[in-house]
Amino acid sequence: MNTTLVKSGEYSVIIVEGRVDTTNAGEFEKAVMDVVESGTDKIILDCTGLNYISSSGLRIFLIVHKRMLAKKGCLKLCSLQPGIKEIFDISGFSTIFSIFPDQQTAESD
Amino acid sequence: MLISNKIDELSKVAIFLEELGISWGMPDYLTANLNLVIEEALSNTILYGYDDADNHSIEIILTKSDGQISITIKDDGLEFDPTKKRDPDTTLSAEERPVGGLGIFLIKQLMDNVQYLREEKINYLILTKNITL
Repeated sequence: MNTTLVKSGEYSVIIVEGRVDTTNAGEFEKAVMDVVESGTDKIILDCTGLNYISSSGLRIFLIVHKRMLAKKGCLKLCSLQPGIKEIFDISGFSTIFSIFPDQQTAESD
Repeated sequence: MLISNKIDELSKVAIFLEELGISWGMPDYLTANLNLVIEEALSNTILYGYDDADNHSIEIILTKSDGQISITIKDDGLEFDPTKKRDPDTTLSAEERPVGGLGIFLIKQLMDNVQYLREEKINYLILTKNITL
């Protein structure tokens, strides 16, 4: 798992790559929460390179989402691979997250 | 394959499955889904299945026959029947959704059959998936 932070307009874009699973969910949580708590209220999680997620990773997505809602911030996801989208669909996460096909669409919505 | 009851062992399982996926000619999504259900089962066992700090072995057996992949996970942890766990409500809003509780639900959704047996203090979790390769 690897995360990279990029500023794009008013958004902080966190690019997530690789696997988010039980072995590294804590590390993923810290990386994303550091951005959440840095004062930014508009975040995009770019999942182009995310190729595996287990319930430990989904858990962090929900924690981050709840934190952003509490802060009245805006969290968007983009570019989910089909396999990841399937896991989001099964979990009911596709309806609770704002998911966009790509970063550009996420920014302009 | 045999692993010990440590979370780091899940990385070994991931590598093993990737190699198996290639040798069995499985599409990437199927390999990832099998990896996912095994990770969910193993992480439950490793994190909550033991009331001592000892080293325990967990055995994972994968077999492929005509039209079906079968996974058996054998451990000597505490008795736990995941098939009895109630499914989460996936229609709740983000505010209402409790954090966690998705692992066993994902296993049930991604596999075609989930069976649990307890024999002589050993847990057997048998998962099967119908496939067309």
